[in-house]
Amino acid sequence: MLKKVILYIGVLLVGFQSQAQDIRLVMSAPNAVAAGDQFRLTFNINERGENLTLPDLGNFDVLMGPSFSSSTSFQIINGKTTQSRDFSYTYILRAREAGTFTIRPGSIEVDGKVYQSNSLTIQVVTGQSQAAPAQQQGQQQGQQQERGSETTPSGSISRNDLFIRLELSRHQAYKGQQIIATVKLYANPNMPLAGFEEVNLPTYEGFYTQDIDIPQQINFKREVFNDRIYQVGVLKKTVLFPQQTGSITIKPFSITTLVQQRVRQRSFFDDFFTGIQTVRAKLTSDAVSVSVRDLPPAPACFSGGVGDFRISSEISQQEVTTNDAVTLKLTISGTGNIRLIQAPKLALPGDFEQYDPSSADNVRASDGGVSGSKSIEYLFQPRYAGDFKIPSVQFAWFNPASGKYEQQSTPEYDLKVTKGEGDQGTGVVRSLRKQDIQTIGQDIRFISQKQVPLKEKGSSFFGSTLFWAIYLLGTAAFAVFFVVYRKKMEENSNIALVRNKKANRVARKHLKVASDHLKKQQGEAFYDALLKAFWGYLSDKLSIPLADLRRETAVEGLEVRKVDPGLISDFLAVVDQCEYARFAPSGGAQVMHELYEKAEDVISKMEKQIKR
Amino acid sequence: MMRRTISILLILVPLISGASGENLLLEEANKHYTDQEFDRAAEKYEQILASGKESAEVYFNLGNAYFKTGDHVQAILNYERAKLLDPRNEDIDFNLKVANQFVVDNPERLPRPFFSRWWGNLANSSSTDGWAKVSIAAFLFFLVLLGSYFFSRSIRLKKLAFYVALPLALLTLLSFSLAWHQHSMIKNRNAALIRCPRVTVKSAPSATGTDLFLIHEGLKVQITDSLDSWKEVQLSDGNKGWMKDSCLVKI
Repeated sequence: MLKKVILYIGVLLVGFQSQAQDIRLVMSAPNAVAAGDQFRLTFNINERGENLTLPDLGNFDVLMGPSFSSSTSFQIINGKTTQSRDFSYTYILRAREAGTFTIRPGSIEVDGKVYQSNSLTIQVVTGQSQAAPAQQQGQQQGQQQERGSETTPSGSISRNDLFIRLELSRHQAYKGQQIIATVKLYANPNMPLAGFEEVNLPTYEGFYTQDIDIPQQINFKREVFNDRIYQVGVLKKTVLFPQQTGSITIKPFSITTLVQQRVRQRSFFDDFFTGIQTVRAKLTSDAVSVSVRDLPPAPACFSGGVGDFRISSEISQQEVTTNDAVTLKLTISGTGNIRLIQAPKLALPGDFEQYDPSSADNVRASDGGVSGSKSIEYLFQPRYAGDFKIPSVQFAWFNPASGKYEQQSTPEYDLKVTKGEGDQGTGVVRSLRKQDIQTIGQDIRFISQKQVPLKEKGSSFFGSTLFWAIYLLGTAAFAVFFVVYRKKMEENSNIALVRNKKANRVARKHLKVASDHLKKQQGEAFYDALLKAFWGYLSDKLSIPLADLRRETAVEGLEVRKVDPGLISDFLAVVDQCEYARFAPSGGAQVMHELYEKAEDVISKMEKQIKR
Repeated sequence: MMRRTISILLILVPLISGASGENLLLEEANKHYTDQEFDRAAEKYEQILASGKESAEVYFNLGNAYFKTGDHVQAILNYERAKLLDPRNEDIDFNLKVANQFVVDNPERLPRPFFSRWWGNLANSSSTDGWAKVSIAAFLFFLVLLGSYFFSRSIRLKKLAFYVALPLALLTLLSFSLAWHQHSMIKNRNAALIRCPRVTVKSAPSATGTDLFLIHEGLKVQITDSLDSWKEVQLSDGNKGWMKDSCLVKI
């Protein structure tokens, strides 16, 4: 029982304490004031307190205060009621001297506990006392400018009271280094702005740009510029990445603002109707230039990154079967021109089917520049089984802060590929995989190593003495051959003629020998001599060598020479009889005598019939 | 003992093989090239050429050595010279093409009539001496056939000899004129390379002539006329103009 009570108390105490921890004392004041001007210093607290102690204000005089006000609000959300209270203490102060001063934290007591506020820095400028003459000067200037050009604010608005300005975080940068450009509108705190027309923001030619999100509602802040206090509104914030080297000029841009102005009364009646008039003022900025330096010579694995990056990698799987898809994911994170980084090269082993890497950006633009990450996915399919190494990816980037290239590489991965089930490659499938030989580089072909005999310069076989000599000798040899052969042929034909003429005589001689044998009754020798007479005669007469002479060739030759067929058959009969009688001698002297006479008769008839 | 024999043999081999000083130089130069000492290789090749000897191989290797040292104009020059001596060599064509990629200008080639193109291609399919040999062989064979035409007894042999001899006579004439064509190309050497980095080609052979066009080193031009130290050149796109011959080097 007692324990329970203690627990309740404990819970309650914790609750109280948690409530007490929410108490915050906030001190606020404009961050820029003019010396001699009044301004408010406000303390806000969400719990009723007591004994508010001001810090030592030093340079500031307290003119009035504290004036106290409180407000309470209730909120009911989903039946849950929350209550918030606000108590504020306001002092009115005045600065004595120009300079920058820090107001140390004030303190307050709530339920016996002391809470400290934040501290503040206030910039005090001189010149608010001279504000009136300056404004008059400005009016004159404005009128002069009005005459000079149309772009100056009309009416009595001077360039010192209302202007626009492009503020760059740096005016010197490397190519690709980010620059934060802020378009600011400066207005005299006393000048009521009614609105804008024709907002022509700068175009930033020569830069890759990315806008920084800023609140839609322009939030005016006090700021000191050229020793004067202005209400400053930020119209646009952009991160610029220079894309070319040299001096890049951002062209002036313009905004037309509407300003409410009190009009001087020209007559008594004017006072009734007018008093405040809206004036258009066209504001034009100055041109701003940035000098951009080119990057130093880049290492091979540089892929365009300028800034500060880190790289990490991840592989989807390390044991796959052939034709499985493997993904290597590369994440580049950091600040800089992330969007402009190209995917680094992944040099896979050959025979891998590699697809174009896909990349996704996730970047944020803020006052600190563009930061975020880019993830690049390399998708590939191993085609053959084996143990492979997925090489590390080298990634280099340029760090403008150090002015040097920095490099980081991902780890190497082992990939074990086993042969897949459906990969029983048939001839058809294999032919589909044929690919062109990849050309890696180009170079001239190697020197010729042939040991060819060197020639005298300008010498050539064509036109040389030898060349012409061969032509001439060839022709001459042909001519000689022609003449000699011709002559010989003529001689040959003469021999045939002679033999033809002699044929009869030779035949007669053989016949005489035959008749001698006839008288001596030498049968065999007689027939021999008779055949010799016939064949020798025909050989000479028909110009056929004896060796080639047979019955058929002889008959052919005789027919060609138009010898009477009866005579040919007589001739054949004689030859037959002779050859028959040679091997089988028969008959007596009578038969031999008749044959002799017949032979003599045939030869003499032939002699008549065969003409040359 | 053994070693001594070998060393004697090593000394003797080049002597026996009849290697003259130039052939030794060629071997040395090739070795320098293989050892990547391109400057020294080029020097040696130039020595061979300075001694009055030449061959397509020497020009080709010299071109390679110059290419490797980065002197693309000299490389193109020597490839072109090698091509004149050995128009059929495919390696020369390839390296010439690679070296020509370093030439700034790329004039469009004027289309040649088909017969001129065919004639050029035919002539380039062998060297002068190749055509000369073809011509002589065809001529001698023609004579043999002519002989057998006259003296053959068989009518069929006569006919055959006649119909083969006729085209052979044509072949003799053709190859002779092709050899002549090639030979005159070598003898006349009308082609030249631009040696200066930039040359302005003028309309007349004087410094005051109108500037016609600008050409860069390594470009091949044809010399069509000359006057004093001025040469009229023609580009492969047909444009003609005059320039000082100091910026030209004949192939």
